[in-house]
Amino acid sequence: MQGIHNAEARIAIRGESDVARAIVQARRMSQAAAFQTVDQSRIATTVSELARNILKYAGQGEVILRGCVGATRRGMEIIAEDSGPGIADTDSALSDHYSSGGTLGLGLPGVQRMMDEFALESEPGAGTRVTVRKWL
Amino acid sequence: MSPLDLAARPAEKPLTAAQMLKLYQLETADLENIQSFGESVVPRLDDYVTRFYDWMETQPEFEQFFSDTEKLDRVQRQQLVYWQEFFAAKVDEEYLDKRRVVGEAHARIGLPLQVYLAAMNVSMKLITGNLYKSGLSPDQYATSIHSVSKLMHMDCAIVVQTFSARVNRIMAEQNDALMEMSTPVTSIWDGILLLPIVGIIDSSRGQDIMNAMLAKISKTRARVAILDISGVAVVDTAVANHLIKITKATRLMGCETTISGISPAIAQTIVELGIDVGDIQTTATLRDALVYAFRATGVEIRQAP
Ligand SMILES: Nc1ncnc2c1ncn2[C@@H]1O[C@H](COP(=O)(O)OP(=O)(O)O)[C@@H](O)[C@H]1O
Ligand SMILES: [Mg+2]
Repeated sequence: MQGIHNAEARIAIRGESDVARAIVQARRMSQAAAFQTVDQSRIATTVSELARNILKYAGQGEVILRGCVGATRRGMEIIAEDSGPGIADTDSALSDHYSSGGTLGLGLPGVQRMMDEFALESEPGAGTRVTVRKWL
Repeated sequence: MSPLDLAARPAEKPLTAAQMLKLYQLETADLENIQSFGESVVPRLDDYVTRFYDWMETQPEFEQFFSDTEKLDRVQRQQLVYWQEFFAAKVDEEYLDKRRVVGEAHARIGLPLQVYLAAMNVSMKLITGNLYKSGLSPDQYATSIHSVSKLMHMDCAIVVQTFSARVNRIMAEQNDALMEMSTPVTSIWDGILLLPIVGIIDSSRGQDIMNAMLAKISKTRARVAILDISGVAVVDTAVANHLIKITKATRLMGCETTISGISPAIAQTIVELGIDVGDIQTTATLRDALVYAFRATGVEIRQAP
């Protein structure tokens, strides 16, 4: 079994099957890192939300999964980035029930609640990057 | 890396001839070197073919791929054309297309990539060694070989890409097939339907599940349905939304759907996502859902004495 701190997976997101691969990979890595079942579920769900947002709003992009090391603990980092249209109003995008796509609008705020660290960077016209961490 | 940099990464779109030339550092001088080297080699290509098949026959794959002589003839003719084109060194879109066709042809018959590359290696040796006679200074010879190997690497890369594109395509197809692998709505008892879902629910599968459930309800007049999601990989907001919609639609048809197989982990993530499950009937296990379904349809379960 590979240690989480040196594991990294980059998954290009272009279609539904890529989302599925990213979810499976996230599940595998979080399991290998010995995250609790609930955290494994949070991580897989996060990857699913972020990858689906890429597909839906940017068309394509990339999900990076990797182990990370903090001052006193280890964890897992998920980066979802795309060069799609970006988000003009990030405050709205992070609030419950806001959706420009007619769906629940709970993905980004939900991810923020499920993860320990959350950062959303976006520039209209340039792209979006979401970086999150979950500590063991 | 900024999100912008993504655009600079190699896309799935194949490179143009100009981009390929740049990537393999093939300059006009290289192409000229290849052409003039070809002047001494192309007239002896028949000899190349003979020697090449002397080698090929020693390979275990030979029997499998070149057994009938008609096929062998055709392949050998194509091989001559291949090298004539190579030494014409006119690298344009048409050239790249032809190389992709070569890759497709080899990938289709299932020739291992390893054998293809070994064959190119042997070809390189034959062409730069046995076939080449004389006429160049040692310096010129070395420069020519360098140019020839650049183009050969480019050719090989195109074939490798074609092979892997094919593998990706097959994987995507298999994935689709798996996704479509039916939504087996089963009538397990009078008026009770069961649909176990395994894997990943995307929007098209969500729609399939909805259609299959509604069709079966209208056919069987089932009053109770169980959607077991214990085998579902993730319940994200989109999946939850699908499940909610399915239960609402079945209710409109007079059928109450229970979602079973909600693990503690899934229950927690659903809450954290902030999803309002409303008055949906859910159970932790399929067993609980069955008990509920039997009760709702008036079936009594008793232990045999
Ligand atoms: N990768 C992205 N690119 C552009 N816009 C995005 C991206 N991800 C999210 N958004 C915007 O943020 C909003 C909220 O996203 P989310 O919370 O996932 O809800 P939903 O996907 O249901 O709309 C989206 O409706 C969209 O406007
Ligand atoms: Mg979303």
